[in-house]
Amino acid sequence: MTEQKSLLAVFSDLEPAADAIEQLRTLGVGDDCMNVISGVPVTEAMLGRPNQWTNVPRLALGGSLIGLLTGIFLAFLSPNMYQIQVGGQGFVPGPPSVVVIFEMTMLGMLLSTFLGVFLDSTFPNYRPMHYVPEVSDGKIAILIECVHVEEKKLTDALEKLGAESVQEAEAQHL
Amino acid sequence: MTDKHHNAEQHLREQHLMLDPLPRGQMNDMVMESMHTTSWKFWVVFGILSVIVAVGLFYSWGRLILEGVGIAGVNRPSYWGIFLVNTVFWIGISHAGTFISAILRVFKAEFRRPFTRAAELMTTFGLVQAGFSIFMHMGRVWVSYWLMPYPNQRGLWPNFHSPLSWDLLAITTYLLSSTMYLFLPLIPDMAMARDKSTGWRKTFYKILALGFRGTEGEWTHLRNAMNIFAFAIIPVMFSVHTIVSWDFAAATRPGWNSTIFGPYFVVGALHSGMGAVIMVLAVVRATMKNMKYFIRPEHFEAIGKLMLIISMTWAYFFFNDYMVQWYGGDKWTKQLLHWHEAGPLGWMWFAMLIFNVAIPWATLWNKKWRSNPWIVFVVGLLINVGMWFERYIIIPISLTINRAPFTWRMYEPGIEIPLGIGTLAFFILLYMAASRLVPLVPVWEVQEGQMAHSLKKFGRETVVTVSELE
Amino acid sequence: MIDLNVVGAKGALVEEAEGKWGMVIDQDICTGCQACVTACAMENNIAFVGEEDAGYGRSMHWIRVERFWEGTYPHVKMTHYQPMLCQQCGQAPCEPVCPAFATVHSQAEQVNLQVYNRCVGTRYCANNCPYQVRSFNWRDYNDERINSAIATLKNQYNPDVTVRRRGVMEKCTFCIQRIHKAQDKAKSEGREVADGEFTTACAQACPADAITFGRVDDPESLVSQLARQGHGVKHLEELGTLPRVTYLVGGA
Repeated sequence: MTEQKSLLAVFSDLEPAADAIEQLRTLGVGDDCMNVISGVPVTEAMLGRPNQWTNVPRLALGGSLIGLLTGIFLAFLSPNMYQIQVGGQGFVPGPPSVVVIFEMTMLGMLLSTFLGVFLDSTFPNYRPMHYVPEVSDGKIAILIECVHVEEKKLTDALEKLGAESVQEAEAQHL
Repeated sequence: MTDKHHNAEQHLREQHLMLDPLPRGQMNDMVMESMHTTSWKFWVVFGILSVIVAVGLFYSWGRLILEGVGIAGVNRPSYWGIFLVNTVFWIGISHAGTFISAILRVFKAEFRRPFTRAAELMTTFGLVQAGFSIFMHMGRVWVSYWLMPYPNQRGLWPNFHSPLSWDLLAITTYLLSSTMYLFLPLIPDMAMARDKSTGWRKTFYKILALGFRGTEGEWTHLRNAMNIFAFAIIPVMFSVHTIVSWDFAAATRPGWNSTIFGPYFVVGALHSGMGAVIMVLAVVRATMKNMKYFIRPEHFEAIGKLMLIISMTWAYFFFNDYMVQWYGGDKWTKQLLHWHEAGPLGWMWFAMLIFNVAIPWATLWNKKWRSNPWIVFVVGLLINVGMWFERYIIIPISLTINRAPFTWRMYEPGIEIPLGIGTLAFFILLYMAASRLVPLVPVWEVQEGQMAHSLKKFGRETVVTVSELE
Repeated sequence: MIDLNVVGAKGALVEEAEGKWGMVIDQDICTGCQACVTACAMENNIAFVGEEDAGYGRSMHWIRVERFWEGTYPHVKMTHYQPMLCQQCGQAPCEPVCPAFATVHSQAEQVNLQVYNRCVGTRYCANNCPYQVRSFNWRDYNDERINSAIATLKNQYNPDVTVRRRGVMEKCTFCIQRIHKAQDKAKSEGREVADGEFTTACAQACPADAITFGRVDDPESLVSQLARQGHGVKHLEELGTLPRVTYLVGGA
């Protein structure tokens, strides 16, 4: 068995890229073998691609729960660990607890959202990867992995559909 | 196509960045060029500011720590002085960034696109100065970590009855989340800069781009996260300045003990913040290469309109506060109001109203005037002076009048002045450094906006349409 | 009738509003001689801030004699002298605002405590004190290198009281070191502290006997009897601070 090759086809427009994705599917390249690399957020719907899975909202929810619990600990438990009376108020301040719980919940939510992006995208990642720098200039690249369809056939089809270039993708340091 | 129609179209394109698209590669090059092109004047200003920061901020702060708060002007009864004025002022400045990048993003105000980052940078750098100012204020700054809630050997947690403890949580939350919110949309631009750089810059951007390529997954995670941030950071922003206002409103003092202080402070923060944003944009447009393409009169016009609305809202809250305090007839409050207007610093009270209300109203109603960068620069500057006065009136001037007339005494600032100038210089210095290192315009967001805009004919008229791409 | 205990913590506290230690100051017989100020400074190691700082509102006395005038110059008439010190509030506004728990309510002695080594110097408590009786260590006034006058004065420090460093807040303690000394002595002798057995430095020094200190929860004590007189006033009582100092003014 030969080593699996990857192809990178670069398009300058949305329309031909969408057509190419459709064509690739008929040629037997599954959606899970393709990835689109772009310099602007191109939604899945525009390219007729299946929706991407993301854990970010779930992680945000989990983080806000941890934040909420931290807030509850700070507001209700920490004053009782060493009771000190101030200004005739109860050991656990009433309304201020809301402030503490709110801030800690938001902090938990936002920190975990941020970390969620790192986890889901495996950032930071300085390993060599398949990439074409033209993407930054607005090109749309289709990365075809796990190619078992004949390479030539694919290249021809993609070029016919308006690909600016189709090349064998080599992992490189970005 | 008639000439008239063509002209109308041409006119709209010149006016609106969103209708005047350039190839992405060209915009990238323009932004990169604006970072690389540095004149000798930049370095002269940078050098002068560095000296001011070294002497005004770090040397003076060192003296303050070595000798004690005695070299500042605080006394009885003005236990709080310019340090807290500056803290409130800088937190106020920081509200502009979140307002523009979160509220305008949530409401899909398209004019925000080219300057969200310029505003967010102000948030982060403003909060740095606010943090400096509050730490300068403390009598024993070297033990300030005692205020952090963590399990410690002292067996004691912070006192959550205190508005200052809420402040600490709120400002920490705000600083962290606004920095993260600055960084998330920056990742694709860092990747762009990485692809377009060589040498040390390449390494710098490579590290900060975190290996971003722009795959579908990466964009999806980023978009989701930015959406969560845009909504969630708004209540955090409101809470921060509301809690700052509670530092005053929760106190047993005439003039401070006001239930309207929360929204009044939030609006005041936006007032000075928007004034500062417009100043920064005017300077960026005038001094940085290629910025006349990205930042146009339409943007000053749009922010000017917001400034006018915020100025009216500020006046509304100010009058609400004043009216009720005046009507209440408490003898100490009466003394205080009289002191504000007729005391030795009464000029400041009137200047506050002129700068915050009269001048913005007199100028910003006019579309032509508020489209002029230099007119709105001056208005923004005056608003910032006026808002600084407002905080000065609320803190040291109001502290002069209390329920113990025997202690009434004027406050005369000491080392607060070089330290205050130092924080201002440090803010500008950080901003200048960032303008050389960080793409000030989020190119991908501009392109996204340009993709969504198009012209459409309704009968004989050409109008702008925006499609919703998300 | 509303049961105060049902109202919650604040309501319940009203019952102990009387407190434990208290003071009565008779303004009718106060001559404004400043002996209390001096005695307090000696007893409590209060820093001498020098002429310049004192003139700028930074003197650190825990008790001050306020004087007021009526009318405009030259037709002025002196009113009463008013010695002002920490009122040891039952519900002190200074306490809850400290983020570091540096000023707290003592449940044992029912006074308001300042914990010097917990203070980080935010000065919020001083802003929130309606009586403006807190003083802040603006500089290291007890350091010879900064304040040369202290070199000889150091010899008269009271060993029972901490010398405060710069950056911390301080205020009247009702001479808590004397309270503790008296309590220890009484305990070792197996009895209760008797009324008038000891007093605060200011009360001790007052030549006119205008200041009386003692247990306000004992109705038979001198301080309680004086406080019961009709012309007793508690300052800014309307703020709900439950002050423990009664001022007698305008009596016969």
